[in-house]
Amino acid sequence: MSGSNAWTRSRERMRLFPELFAQCAGEAATYGRCVAATTTGRQELRKDMCAKEFEALKTCFTNAAKRKAK
Amino acid sequence: MSSGVCLRVLRAAGSPPAASSGSWSRVRLPADPRHAPRRGLSASGRGGTMNVFNREMKKKQKEWAASLRDGDQFDYLRDEVGGRVADRVYDIVRTFPLALDIGGGKSHIAGHLSKKQSRRSEIPTHRLLADEEFLPFKENTFDLVVSSLSLHWINDLPGALRQIQQVLKPDGVFIGAMVGGETLYELRCSLQLAETEREGGFSPHVSPYTAVTDLGNLLGRAGFSMLTVDVDDVQVNYPGIIEVMTDLQGMGESNCAWNRKSLLHRDTILAAEAIYKEMYGNEDGSIPATFEILYMIGWKPHESQAKPAKRGSANVSFGDLSKISQPTNTNTS
Repeated sequence: MSGSNAWTRSRERMRLFPELFAQCAGEAATYGRCVAATTTGRQELRKDMCAKEFEALKTCFTNAAKRKAK
Repeated sequence: MSSGVCLRVLRAAGSPPAASSGSWSRVRLPADPRHAPRRGLSASGRGGTMNVFNREMKKKQKEWAASLRDGDQFDYLRDEVGGRVADRVYDIVRTFPLALDIGGGKSHIAGHLSKKQSRRSEIPTHRLLADEEFLPFKENTFDLVVSSLSLHWINDLPGALRQIQQVLKPDGVFIGAMVGGETLYELRCSLQLAETEREGGFSPHVSPYTAVTDLGNLLGRAGFSMLTVDVDDVQVNYPGIIEVMTDLQGMGESNCAWNRKSLLHRDTILAAEAIYKEMYGNEDGSIPATFEILYMIGWKPHESQAKPAKRGSANVSFGDLSKISQPTNTNTS
């Protein structure tokens, strides 16, 4: 498969992922700690249990992507 | 991981080396699903046959991986495990005139065997494209069967092991290495937690593996004797979860189980990366991925092999154990 298609485009986007992620290490650590806490706690992990932390991470990530695109 | 249908015959240049292993002839067997009637049907198991993996998909994945221009960068795991299997072959003080390498790919095992003989002579090789579950050989053909990191995509593992046992000559040996047990548990757990938190449920992304405890039973049922099973952990450090998945894809090890979900949401990937780094990350920011390699050695039964002693043939008693520590009465001057 040559030329640009869905897979080549998504792979290109994925290549930027680590660089953008590195700029949000703090938010990522907070989110990770929130989820890791549920594995040891008494409550089972449910949907959106760490939604707030994830929103912070996602905002940081999309901002980093916007800065990169400029 | 060879591409397409190839029937290449490589002959050794010059005389075979006069080392302890003697001369070799090898047939290599990459995976290829034949269109057997029972396999082409639905994903549910029929009769006694398990149907967990889509073999057609696995063949396509391996061909894609083999066609990559810079595919050599993904060979590190196979080279390492191939070297350890070659070590085990060398541990056996015997000459093997005819050997079979199942799932040989780029012949990682043979590469290590040639180097140790410190000669540039190539082991004479024939390559065959065939299905691991339908070995196209007569019984009692091979002195040695090796397999490295390809048995974990076989649907009917008991059947495949039985066929390996059949194509071996009596007193032949099978040395295999397969990923099993807790391989990639960090990846599996990170994805599971991320999917649960982001999407409310999770589906399996890492394919199922054989546990160490089951391996002994499998080999025994297949008719092997004098079994040896041991476990080795290979831990590889990666910068991030994307690199883990890219490398697995490049190795031709993408998931091909029927029950896999083909989609991974970008939110889930982001969440999984954060969880992976937090829960399993190393101090320098890299993340480990564990490959638990199970090594197995099994022999085809033969009269020359040691058998358990007959009942009642003991000529020492357990009661004599207490006398061992006491010094015997020898002449002391």
